[in-house]
Amino acid sequence: MQKTTSDRSQLPTMGEGRAALLARVHAALGRDKTQAPSEPAPVVDESIARLASSDADLPALFTERAQSVGMKVHRVSLEQVVPRLRELLGQLEARRIGVAAGSVGERLELELDAALQADGVKQIDWQAREGVSAQYDLDVGITDVHAAIAETGTLVCCSGSRSSRGLSLVPPVHIALVRVSDILPDMIDYWARLKGMPNTELPSSQAFITGPSKTADIEGELVTGVHGPGAVHILLIDG
Amino acid sequence: MSDTLFPKLPYKLKQRADEATVNIQLQQFVNHATYSKDVARKQAMGGAFGENTDAVRDLAGQIKQHTLDHLDHYLEQFIDNATATGVQVHFARDGEQANQIAVAIAEANKCRLCVKSKSMVTEETHLLPALEAVGCETVETDLGEFILQLDNDAPSHIVTPMIHKDRTAVARAFQRELGAEYTEDAEALAQIARKHLREKYRKADLGISGGNFLVAETGSVVLCTNEGNGRFCTTAPRIHVAFVGIEKLVPRLEHLGVMLKVLARSSTGQPLTCYTHTITGPKREHEHDGPEEVHVVLVDNGRTDVLHEDTREMLRCIRCGACLNSCPVYRKIGGHSYGAVYSGPIGAILTPMLKGLENYTDLPHASSLCGACYEACPVKINIPKYLIQLRRDMVQNHLSGTGDRVTMRLWGESLQHEWSYRIGGWMQKTFARMQAKFGGTLETDDPYASRGWLTWAPGPVKGWTQERDMPTPTAKSFRHWWRKEHGR
Ligand code: SF4
Repeated sequence: MQKTTSDRSQLPTMGEGRAALLARVHAALGRDKTQAPSEPAPVVDESIARLASSDADLPALFTERAQSVGMKVHRVSLEQVVPRLRELLGQLEARRIGVAAGSVGERLELELDAALQADGVKQIDWQAREGVSAQYDLDVGITDVHAAIAETGTLVCCSGSRSSRGLSLVPPVHIALVRVSDILPDMIDYWARLKGMPNTELPSSQAFITGPSKTADIEGELVTGVHGPGAVHILLIDG
Repeated sequence: MSDTLFPKLPYKLKQRADEATVNIQLQQFVNHATYSKDVARKQAMGGAFGENTDAVRDLAGQIKQHTLDHLDHYLEQFIDNATATGVQVHFARDGEQANQIAVAIAEANKCRLCVKSKSMVTEETHLLPALEAVGCETVETDLGEFILQLDNDAPSHIVTPMIHKDRTAVARAFQRELGAEYTEDAEALAQIARKHLREKYRKADLGISGGNFLVAETGSVVLCTNEGNGRFCTTAPRIHVAFVGIEKLVPRLEHLGVMLKVLARSSTGQPLTCYTHTITGPKREHEHDGPEEVHVVLVDNGRTDVLHEDTREMLRCIRCGACLNSCPVYRKIGGHSYGAVYSGPIGAILTPMLKGLENYTDLPHASSLCGACYEACPVKINIPKYLIQLRRDMVQNHLSGTGDRVTMRLWGESLQHEWSYRIGGWMQKTFARMQAKFGGTLETDDPYASRGWLTWAPGPVKGWTQERDMPTPTAKSFRHWWRKEHGR
């Protein structure tokens, strides 16, 4: 059941209660009530923390960094997106897929639909069923991104009305469609973009994806695909 | 398991440390894994920040320190903002209360199966048995934690919980508990776990996670995982409960731009963890997947005691594990020797604060004060300083042993006067050389250079001679030589 905004102030709270916790915090800080900070929070000094700027060749930097964390990058033009996807899905022997790539354009979606039908690849309607239950038997999830970060080779995938949390996580292969214009130099730029947005409008989930699912728990040996996708392909689209 | 991280108090480190130092397997795994991570950290931090490496650690430390200095303000902000997005915020004074909250949520929703991602706070509160006791099967999904759960073992490292185990242990656990075919291939083992845990995600109605950061400005919870289990546990089940220590706050989203950059690099040498996940409220009306309920349990469990001015800095810790990886003592004695949830240098200062100094008098001494931890720490916690501070507190509160006190008093006295210092030195030299002579190891040709070797020594020196021989002083002292050469 979805909570509406009006009943949020009455959300039940368990445990010792807010006041009891704050009383101990106040005691430790040597005051008897909450005080606003007398000095502002430290600023993120970009001369120290920024690791990539907009003068860099962003597609090249993004490609290099994404590859270094184990993702495969395919550079394509807009026209090549559908043929390249068909080729990739063929190589992966994908039979069932889910697609949530609204931001790359409706024309592309239509084109892709037709092509997949011709190839006999079944697209599931992931929006029809709540939750991720319909996604467990998919071979591939295709998504767009909300942004990409060059410095770390990161894909930012957010929840929303036209996107799914699960498609970049549940199927064994994730294909991300990234436009060159999606690429930001540094994570600092991503947070700057959200500045001032009310938190009730932020996506409930923002996933920063930097490589396929990895573990090194077994004697430090790197293994991919332990829970999430074992392979991530990026179609980096010019324009 | 309970006994490993929750031993009988007061805890004495010696027995486990002795066992660990002669466990060759453990020595190899822990040494190798920590060493390679330590190298990876230096390369990643230096490679990214270059000459600013120190400055970025300062900045990260300042952000955390500022937040702690104004924790009342930022906590209130977080609570209001999280509530506005529909998160239910709860308050737990201690571990037991935190568990009660989780149990109440599970019972109210009739949860039968819980998938849990790695969280040190839930280790502190001992959550798993509490949920199982009310009939909610709870599965650890982090691969390392999952294997430890099958083996009824406990984590020994903040980041790499299974650092003390090898692949044969995993293979045996999977064969025994899951009926899998025996294989030592890491890839195949991971696939066995994947298959097994997928079934759990599919059926789970409750997901439990920790939280690496809380953002005051937005009420967001930030989770960093590599395997993706953290995302699964907070996406697939209908209800998500996050257990988070109150010290995890940062003021604004933009501060993550610094904290995330240093966390993964210091921890594993990665630029970011594979999945860095920011959760701001439950699934919204127009979204299709994600939990319908999100609960955040703010856990104190001793933290407000550490928040006092003298020790506040300890709470900056972002649990990256770099201090463990860099510590020569941790490498030698392993995580379980610390007898508590937090091991390594940070454990050595935090555990006595959280669980009572009188219960862990060995921990402040489990360090050579070499300072490697301080140098590694991305938020610049001056761990050696706090080790010394705790040692001082022990002396002041008469918590150190009588033997220690008498020895230190005598030593102190003898250093006060030249004559007593000389007599002490002469006695040490004479006895040591006499013993070496009986052992037949004494060289006698050059009185200023020749030494012998002690293979055994009594009292506090025994710890040394058990591991290696100890050189004796030379026959004649430096002072003697100086007087002879320079006539003074
Ligand atoms: S004390 Fe510093 S180095 Fe150690 S785990 Fe905490 S943040 Fe990392």
